[in-house]
Amino acid sequence: MPMPAALDRENPSVLVMPGPGLPAFDYVRASKPDEVCDLLLQHGDNARLLMGGTDILVLMRDGVLAPKILIDVKHLPGMTTISFDPAGGLRLGAAVSMNTMTAHPAVKQHYPLLAEAAQAVASYQLRTRATMGGNLCNASPAADTAPAALVLNARCVTWGPDGERIIPVGAFFRGPKQNVLMPGEFLAFIDVPIPPPGWVGRYIKLGRNAGGDLAIVGVAVLGYPDANAASGCRFRIALASVAPTPIRVPEAEAILANMPITGETLERAAPAAQAAARPIDDLRGSARYRKAMTRNLTRRALDDVWAGLRKEG
Amino acid sequence: MKEKAFVIGQSVRRLDAVGKVIGEALYPGDIDMEDQLWMKIRMSDRVHARVTAIDTRQAEAYPGVVAVLTATDVPVNEYGLIMPDQPVLCGPGSSKAGADIVRCISDQVALVIAESEETAAVAADLIEITYEDLPAVVDVMQAIADGAPQLHAHAKNNVLNHYRIRHGDINAGWEQAEVIVEGEYHTGYQEHVYLQPEAGLGYIDDEKRVTVVVAGQHAHEDREQVAHALGLPEEQVRIVYPAIGGAFGGREDMSIQIALALAAWKLQRPVKVVWSREESIIGHHKRHPFTIRARWGATREGKLVAAEAEVYADAGAYAYTSTKVTGNAHLMVNGPYEIPNVKVDTYGVYTNNIPCGAFRGFGGPQGAFAAEGQMNKLADALGMDPVQIRALNVLEEGSITSVGTPLPPGVTLSKVLAEGAAQSDYWHKTGAGWARISPTEQPTTPAKRRGIGMAMGFKNIGFSFGAPEENWATVEIHGDAKIERVVVREAGADVGQGAHTVFAQMVADGVGVPLDKVEVIGHDTAETDNSGSSSASRMTFMAGNAIKTAAEQALEKWRSEQRPAVATYRYVPPKTTPYDPETGRANPNFAYGYMAQFVEVEVDIETGHIDVVRVVSAHDVGRAINPQQIEGQIEGAVVQALGYAIMENLVVKDGRIQNPFLSTYLIPTIWDIPRETKSVILEYADPRGPWGARGMAEMPFIPLAPAIVAALHDATGIWFDHIPLTPESVVSRLREHNIGVI
Ligand SMILES: Cc1cc2nc3c(=O)[nH]c(=O)nc-3n(C[C@H](O)[C@H](O)[C@H](O)COP(=O)(O)OP(=O)(O)OC[C@H]3O[C@@H](n4cnc5c(N)ncnc54)[C@H](O)[C@@H]3O)c2cc1C
Repeated sequence: MPMPAALDRENPSVLVMPGPGLPAFDYVRASKPDEVCDLLLQHGDNARLLMGGTDILVLMRDGVLAPKILIDVKHLPGMTTISFDPAGGLRLGAAVSMNTMTAHPAVKQHYPLLAEAAQAVASYQLRTRATMGGNLCNASPAADTAPAALVLNARCVTWGPDGERIIPVGAFFRGPKQNVLMPGEFLAFIDVPIPPPGWVGRYIKLGRNAGGDLAIVGVAVLGYPDANAASGCRFRIALASVAPTPIRVPEAEAILANMPITGETLERAAPAAQAAARPIDDLRGSARYRKAMTRNLTRRALDDVWAGLRKEG
Repeated sequence: MKEKAFVIGQSVRRLDAVGKVIGEALYPGDIDMEDQLWMKIRMSDRVHARVTAIDTRQAEAYPGVVAVLTATDVPVNEYGLIMPDQPVLCGPGSSKAGADIVRCISDQVALVIAESEETAAVAADLIEITYEDLPAVVDVMQAIADGAPQLHAHAKNNVLNHYRIRHGDINAGWEQAEVIVEGEYHTGYQEHVYLQPEAGLGYIDDEKRVTVVVAGQHAHEDREQVAHALGLPEEQVRIVYPAIGGAFGGREDMSIQIALALAAWKLQRPVKVVWSREESIIGHHKRHPFTIRARWGATREGKLVAAEAEVYADAGAYAYTSTKVTGNAHLMVNGPYEIPNVKVDTYGVYTNNIPCGAFRGFGGPQGAFAAEGQMNKLADALGMDPVQIRALNVLEEGSITSVGTPLPPGVTLSKVLAEGAAQSDYWHKTGAGWARISPTEQPTTPAKRRGIGMAMGFKNIGFSFGAPEENWATVEIHGDAKIERVVVREAGADVGQGAHTVFAQMVADGVGVPLDKVEVIGHDTAETDNSGSSSASRMTFMAGNAIKTAAEQALEKWRSEQRPAVATYRYVPPKTTPYDPETGRANPNFAYGYMAQFVEVEVDIETGHIDVVRVVSAHDVGRAINPQQIEGQIEGAVVQALGYAIMENLVVKDGRIQNPFLSTYLIPTIWDIPRETKSVILEYADPRGPWGARGMAEMPFIPLAPAIVAALHDATGIWFDHIPLTPESVVSRLREHNIGVI
């Protein structure tokens, strides 16, 4: 059966009505990692991976994707496991749901920033299915957990035909909805190292409403005391929804490492984040608004983190 | 035997509640018939074009396709609620001249009927439509300018209707005016977003009637329109409503009804259609965007002396109910105030945009946005309290309105204003009149500002301007020595507002039986007489009056030993009249509801986000038949109006909707709604209302947007004359005044 043409939700200049329901596909529940690699290699673009399905099923319903096979990787060993080691850090199975993640004691205690970011995603109901792994693999510029993963220096642990590969999240995104996974490769774990002692983090998301909207701008800031920095502190700043991929903002981070932290310094770092933003105009917001909001939210997140650091120190 | 006020005034549980909660209630999309076919409606790809050819061969040859219907298949190829200005299917060879032209993207061109839903969808894409593009006009001001493309032969310069008010002596008014305020107000589109997108089933019933099972607001009107297009006598058409998943005016006009009837009639087989959310958002009309220029004058003491307005509504490509919506706005743009000198010109204008029509408030929200904006600006310019200036000017019993006649008896505006203000916890009455209890307390975060504002309004109950108005009810009392069962036949649509429960309460009280003895038969033209539509806040008022008398008469027959005792009554309210074409003089309505709202907002001046913290909504409902349902209407309307005021932004470019998705067209979520909505329910009987009841369902929608704007002004010192107040639009307006983000 020919597919009705696809919908483009962000740019429906020619509107095409989708067909009802989902296109037909085969569902394969994978039980071994190599089975996944083989199926992916064998079927190429006709196979897609499935975790929570909150991205892929929408794209299939809209007619954007019509894979012949959906490979469910949730049941592979370790995919839904969370483990924490005070020396090595956190290992999240790629298919851990966001609600499981945010409720996990180790995440709550050691990585509140991850929980804060995940809780910015959609609604509780959706987060019962949605995974952080899927959020990263989907590689939307607006992915809410990406800025937190970036400032936490998280690493994607993948499995492919050539075995395991470790990719820093900062090198994982290639462009809007594109990641660097190779044919046959899939995300197995997210490793999050132990952040520097005394750290404080914050994620602020701005949508058009108070909940449920995708980010117009998302800002994650992580700060920690560092005697080697001229300012005595280092900050990591990452942004969502203002560039083709989620990005770090080294220019703003440098300002904060090199000058004593005062209200004025924070005030100077925010425009540097704004300058790094290369947003587009879309239905959610104009580029101009996004840029201005990048500055305002960066400033807010920095203020919050700085207040936290001073309280700790 | 009759107990007084048996269940009237009690929050009895909705008759449909359990079925809906446990999923037993069947909505149109839930109903299937053996042997049913599926339909896909192919809409226009163009906003204005002549369809020169439709090649259906590929679609017809596609396996599983049963038929493809086009304009040539429609017996009487025209329809429309107030005038038949839209083709059922656009295309060549039609029974009506001019039906080969598409005028908007929601025009329907072809119906594909197939063995499965998927097949119908695929085949619909295989239809090749050849268009000859015509120049389009998508802007109201351009549409009325000389040389604009003309959309309909009956509307010179695309003006569908032009109303006037010439009341008093406007020049004398301006001479008396010591303070004058002006504004140009813009209101946006709004989509109904009822929970249940359009769906239905057409089939031929046992009595050979073409039957459409669908969700609607007025079964007998649907029947009339279907019968007209099919060229059938009305008796040969039947409309059945199962559970209806919301309406808000969006189901007043035809969407899938005629298409379903036509397909079932042609094929003599059941045909089903279910629209996706996108099809629903594109396929039915919207709330009209308005541009209103207003200029009001008052004396230094705050007495209104002159009001002038120009009102433009974008009707879109077809009339729908635009003449009535603009008629309401025409009256309400002057507010519920006594103004001796008034001049208003109101235009409904055709464009190649999506058609606009009925939506909760029906022109009232747009009119009130300007009127209440003007009133708040006047208070500010005079240094007067906004409640106080209204108290000085509201219409009282016998006051003459801007259309030269008094309101019907039972005018309670000043009571609603006073009791609402007092119960708002923001205002109190002092020796010098109404005043704020204390200035607005500001949050400690510098980016946040708080403000408090208010607005009020009036809204008609029932059909206006001389439109025929009636409601039929039949009450049957069954039993022998004792009453065993009471049946009420009343077509009035329960669109989710709980009409059937209220009907049952009124019957129970009228006959004097407990509620569980009452059965409501409705939603079927084969079983009931015309009730008019569930719109214009009219159903409790109209059906109540019919039911009350029918119950009394049935009870009399019961007492005189008739078994069963059956009485049918047709309630006809006092006559209304249309606007005089020159002066606007009219008796436009036979009943009204009155309301006032008080709101507290917090605005983030750095992001433009508005948080509506608290709403106090005061209403004279005449008599609260079911207080909980009234609270439900108030809270629901406040949420819907909040969406209209600050969030719902339908983007239409070159006649095409850019965001027909709930991911890009946002409505309020649980996190966006007020922390508290306080309902102030007042019961000053309407002398014409059943048990004194007035309608109330649209009223809480109407003043909210201008009340939010007043609160924003209190917070920032700036007036906002455009809605929706999206965060980005708020930021850019603040930027113009060097507030917030520079
Ligand atoms: C109503 C709604 C609201 C939303 N709101 C938000 C929001 O506020 N913020 C936000 O960031 N996102 C939002 N999303 C998007 C989505 O929920 C998230 O991106 C979610 O984290 C995706 O996770 P998932 O497990 O459901 O992914 P899936 O849909 O299962 O997969 C996502 C993509 O990754 C691929 N994939 C799956 N597993 C693997 C793997 N192991 N290795 C490699 N590739 C894989 C899939 O093929 C697919 O392309 C929303 C979605 C919906 C439907």
